[in-house]
Amino acid sequence: MQADQIDRAFAALADPTRRGILARLSQGEATVNELAAPFDLTQPAISKHIKVLERAGLISRGRVAQTRPCRLETAPLQGLAEWIEAYRHLWEDSFERLDAHLKSTQAAKRKGRKDARK
Amino acid sequence: MPANKRATAADAAFVITRVFDAPLSLTWKAWTEADQLKAWWGPKGCTIEVASLELRPGGFFHFNMRFANGQEWWGRFLYREIAPRQRIVWLNSFSNPGCGITRAPFAMAIPLEILNDVTFAERSCKTTVSLRATPHGATDEEIATFKSMHGSLEQGYGSTLDQLAQVLAQVSAKVSG
Repeated sequence: MQADQIDRAFAALADPTRRGILARLSQGEATVNELAAPFDLTQPAISKHIKVLERAGLISRGRVAQTRPCRLETAPLQGLAEWIEAYRHLWEDSFERLDAHLKSTQAAKRKGRKDARK
Repeated sequence: MPANKRATAADAAFVITRVFDAPLSLTWKAWTEADQLKAWWGPKGCTIEVASLELRPGGFFHFNMRFANGQEWWGRFLYREIAPRQRIVWLNSFSNPGCGITRAPFAMAIPLEILNDVTFAERSCKTTVSLRATPHGATDEEIATFKSMHGSLEQGYGSTLDQLAQVLAQVSAKVSG
């Protein structure tokens, strides 16, 4: 996955309508009209969302017929999921250490106060 | 929410919240002092060496992550907002030793910059830390495009990465199924 494509993919995923479109496409190909149906949006609006997804490489469109059905491109999505997992791990691990760090800082502080009172 | 809600609201965010059994004063120090940050922040198994820490909007936390196998990755936080004992907003990315922004040093689809927004709240001597992270990049332009398209995009945002994860799960189930 190219670097600029990664950024485009994340930007594309930032929108709930576009995530809805992807969810729908995970069940199979669909035309723009079919994709527009569940959303309260005009067809041009849906087309714009589809263009964003297409530019990001998250979907592709058939060459056949006027309807040019949309289909999901799964490889980039799996790449993105990998990042999310990695970032979650980074913070979970860091928060574990922060928890331990704060406990020892506090213990040291308490001990310091106790020693001072002696 | 403060004015910069716009910057994050439209993004698919990664959210993590944790209650620490420590007062806010200590927790804040742990996030803002170099020798404390390096004690806990970072990928597993690395030792953080702090090159600089300038806690102000536009300032950098620049650090080297050293791993046992001799590997070194440089990283940086570019601070955007600091509200003492309340909130820190920063852009996180990999960098070179000169603090210039770089792509991840490994093959993974990672956004060039990640916008992090962490808030702190104290209650009964415990501190709740909530972090929201969103990929940062082409987003502003995209938001602008879609804002001009229709003004109702504000509603329905606030979606979390969990929703995204759900979509991804559906997708990968389809792929392996």
